[in-house]
Amino acid sequence: MAGPTIPLSPPDVEARLRARFGDDIVEFTEQFGHPVAVVSVDRYREVVSFCRDEPELDCDYLEFVGGVDRQDEGLEVVTHLFSTRHHHNVRLKVRLPADGAACPSIHDLYPGANWHERETMEMFGIEFTGHPQAVKLLLPEPFEGYPLRKDFVLMSRVAKPWPGEAEGEEGEEE
Amino acid sequence: MGLITEKTPIGDVQPIKFVLNWGRRYSLWVMNFGLACCAIEFIASSTAKHDFIRLGVIPFAHGPRQADLLVVAGTLTDKMAPALKRVYDQMPEPRYVISMGSCSNCGGPYWDSYSVTKGVDQLVPVDVYVPGCPPRPEALIHGIVKLQEKIAGENIREKFSGRSDDPALTS
Repeated sequence: MAGPTIPLSPPDVEARLRARFGDDIVEFTEQFGHPVAVVSVDRYREVVSFCRDEPELDCDYLEFVGGVDRQDEGLEVVTHLFSTRHHHNVRLKVRLPADGAACPSIHDLYPGANWHERETMEMFGIEFTGHPQAVKLLLPEPFEGYPLRKDFVLMSRVAKPWPGEAEGEEGEEE
Repeated sequence: MGLITEKTPIGDVQPIKFVLNWGRRYSLWVMNFGLACCAIEFIASSTAKHDFIRLGVIPFAHGPRQADLLVVAGTLTDKMAPALKRVYDQMPEPRYVISMGSCSNCGGPYWDSYSVTKGVDQLVPVDVYVPGCPPRPEALIHGIVKLQEKIAGENIREKFSGRSDDPALTS
C-alpha cells in the first residue's frame, strides 16, 4: 500500500461517483462527516468495485454489510467501506422493495461480505443473488420469519406489552 | 454404587444415608456451562477470594461424564439449547442443575427476544435457581449451599432407584 494518505471529503467522493455513474447515484448526503450514496441496484456491484479499485478512493476494507427496514419505503442494504490508506469511509445504500428484495452479492469483491450477507439475509429476508452459501448463519434452521423486520411479531410482547414504550419515540432514528 | 431398591434395605439405615449424602454433597464436580457474563462470576466464585472449592465444589470437570453438577451460567439461545440438552444427557445420575442468573432462569432482559430460550427449565430439570444479573459470587455460593442442604435431606433409595421429583429451590 504505497503512496501518500489523502483522505477525500464527502463532496470529493460525490464528485468522483457522479462523474462515473451519473444518475445511478440516486441520492447523496453527508452524515456525521461520512459520504452516504444511495445507488441503484443494477450498478451496485460496479460502484463497489469502483470504490475498491479507484486509487483515490482505494477502499480496501469492508467494514460492514447490514440492512434497514424503512417500512413503507421498503428495505435498504447498507455497505460500509473504509480505506486503510486514505483513512476515509464510503457508505453505500441500495433501496429495495419489501417483497422479493434481491441485491447482488459482493462476496467475490470482498470475501468478508459472505457472513454479513448471510446475516442480512436471515434477519431481513433480502436475497443476495450469486451468494455461494445462501443459508442461515446465526438463526436455527427451522426458524421462520425475519426477526429484524419491523413487522416481525415477538410472541412475548403479544402476551405482555413492552413496558418501555415512550411518547414520540418513533421516527427519531438517524 | 449399584441401584438401591425395595429389596436392599441399606437405603433405610440412617447412618448409611447420612454418610452417603455427606460424601455426595461435598464432592460436587461441577460442569460450567458458561454462556455469558454469569460465567465470569462463576469463575470468580472458584478463585481464591470466594473459593467454592472449600465447599467441595470442584470446578472444571473434565467433561460432562465426570460431572455431578451442571451450572447453566448465562443466556441460553434456542440455537444453543440442543447442546445444553446433550451435555445434560451425558451426565451420570445422580446429577444436579443450578440455573444461574436471570437469563437462564426466565430469559431475563431478553424476555421478549426472538432467539433466547425463556428459562432453561424448559429443557432440563433445575434444582436451584440463583437470581441476579449477574449474581454475585456470594449468591452462587448460597445457591450451592442450598443444593447441598437438599442433597443432605435426600432419600437415597428414591434417588438411586429412579427419578425423584423434588420441587426446585430458590437461593
